[in-house]
Amino acid sequence: MSSSTESAGARLVLNIYIGLFVLYLFLPLAVMSAAAFNSFDYPSVTQWRGFTLQWFVALAHDQRLLQGLANSVMVALGVIAVSIPAGLCGALILTRLGQRSGTVLYSVLVSPVLTPGIILGISSLIFWREFGVPGGLFVAVMAQSSFIASYAMLLFLARLQRQDRTLEEAALDLGASHTLVFRRITLPFLAPTCFTAAVVAFLQSFENYNTTVFAIGGEWTLVTEIASRLRFGLSPVINVVGVIFVALTLIAATTYVLLKSRPAR
Amino acid sequence: MGSLARAYGRPLAAVIAGITLVWILVLILVPLGAMLEQSLWWRDAKGDVSLQIDRLYNEISTLQLDRAGAADPARQAQLDAAMAQKQAEATALEAQEKNPPKTYGLDNFTRMSGLHLYIFVRTILYALMVTGLALIVCYPVAYVVALASGPRKAIILTVALIVPYAINELLRVYAWLMILDYRGVINGVLAWLGFINLDAREWIPFLENPSAVFLAMIYTYVLFMVFPMVNTLETLDRNQIEAARDLGASTLRIHRRVIIPHAKPGIAVGCIMTFMLSAGSYSVPAIMTRGQGGDWFSQLVYRQFYESNNWNMGSAYAVSLLVVCTAFILLMMRLFGVGLRDIAK
Repeated sequence: MSSSTESAGARLVLNIYIGLFVLYLFLPLAVMSAAAFNSFDYPSVTQWRGFTLQWFVALAHDQRLLQGLANSVMVALGVIAVSIPAGLCGALILTRLGQRSGTVLYSVLVSPVLTPGIILGISSLIFWREFGVPGGLFVAVMAQSSFIASYAMLLFLARLQRQDRTLEEAALDLGASHTLVFRRITLPFLAPTCFTAAVVAFLQSFENYNTTVFAIGGEWTLVTEIASRLRFGLSPVINVVGVIFVALTLIAATTYVLLKSRPAR
Repeated sequence: MGSLARAYGRPLAAVIAGITLVWILVLILVPLGAMLEQSLWWRDAKGDVSLQIDRLYNEISTLQLDRAGAADPARQAQLDAAMAQKQAEATALEAQEKNPPKTYGLDNFTRMSGLHLYIFVRTILYALMVTGLALIVCYPVAYVVALASGPRKAIILTVALIVPYAINELLRVYAWLMILDYRGVINGVLAWLGFINLDAREWIPFLENPSAVFLAMIYTYVLFMVFPMVNTLETLDRNQIEAARDLGASTLRIHRRVIIPHAKPGIAVGCIMTFMLSAGSYSVPAIMTRGQGGDWFSQLVYRQFYESNNWNMGSAYAVSLLVVCTAFILLMMRLFGVGLRDIAK
């Protein structure tokens, strides 16, 4: 059931346009991935010196990158621990507030999403220095959480809008305590969103650069380490990191589509 | 608050409100306030203070020589007193040098040099151009994904858009760095065709041109424009388009009178996100130019913090950037008639 609103010519032009757009999106990634397998010691596809896996081995022995990976995972877990409860509580309050006071609170809680990342990093850096905490992994967790919690809150809000409140009310009428209702009805209803929000938070945190680079001080994450290396020149080891990211994303996206399209049809 | 307590009970409601309050204060408002405060004062580091100190120590040394040569005890006592007085003066000045007094005012904002102001304005203009170009490039894409394709194709296209979107921002910039570098893909192809000779360093310096940053920036942030637009367009009833067509409206008119008005909130959100991301982007200019192309404002901010170590000036720069971004958001909301609730959907 394709739309009949276009003439055949217009549809052809649109299809070519979309094709070019997708090519524009993927070609740079393909070039980057291919160069990871070139045995030339500068990442290149035009000067091909034969297929190799030596850069994968080099990555496995790169202590700073591996430490960066570990730091990234730690920061991401920290961000999940901070932003999921914060986002959940913010959403619970907002769904119960009236229109007026709700809008003010909503504006404050959403504002970090609309703030440039470097400003979140800077303000956290300044704030925590007052308490004698210098830039590092902890400040990075705090800086990232300020906006990732907002994303989590938006996910929870969307879910809570579809909640049938009579269920909770019925349980209360039947004599269940508030804590029991929250544990047995509200939380199970929100559990899938908790999972989604945690995944989103992990990915957001893991790939974040603009906020982290200001908050990280002398420490480093995988992404900030890659960035500081790029200043001194390119290395195929970075391409290997790229290939791994591209592969993981492709696998995740395909799984997601397969899972989503199967029960629907 | 009352309905929250009614729904979850007082203790639980208190916990929920408490966590939200901590989030607002510790992660959002107080850090912003701290940054604002930092931008409003400076320490007067007068260069001549250290000169004065040096001069005092010179005088003390001279006095010491005199003291060593003097035989008369009265003269000795007099020189000792003079030395002690000079030493006290020097110590006081040293304390001032180490910890100059705070002065509050707007000087951090007004002292921005002409060059930095120029870079600030240029960054804003570039960000506006990135936003405008991204909008033009994305509108047809969003239109096709949301309206002009069957459900199967729409899913495939969505995945095709999500995959690059989900890949690390930095790696997307890196891919372009590889393509445009001196020994990059484009120069490599040109060399292979025989136009240039890489061994003679005859490459074309794409990276020294500001448009390299531009290109990579559109590539990096274009999808933040696509998704909000797709989301709003998907809710448009296709029958409206059919009806307009049946009533004889031209394609252009359908877009202008039916589709674009419906897409307004999406366009506003897309523009806000793209502008905010590109105006505040540190990754793209820092990596693409490697200090050789023109600076973007975010790089100046970074240097104030991590190279000049002037946090007050850096905060003032950051506040200026925040003010412009906020103004842009408010302007877009007014222009497109959307509220904050529409933005974050």
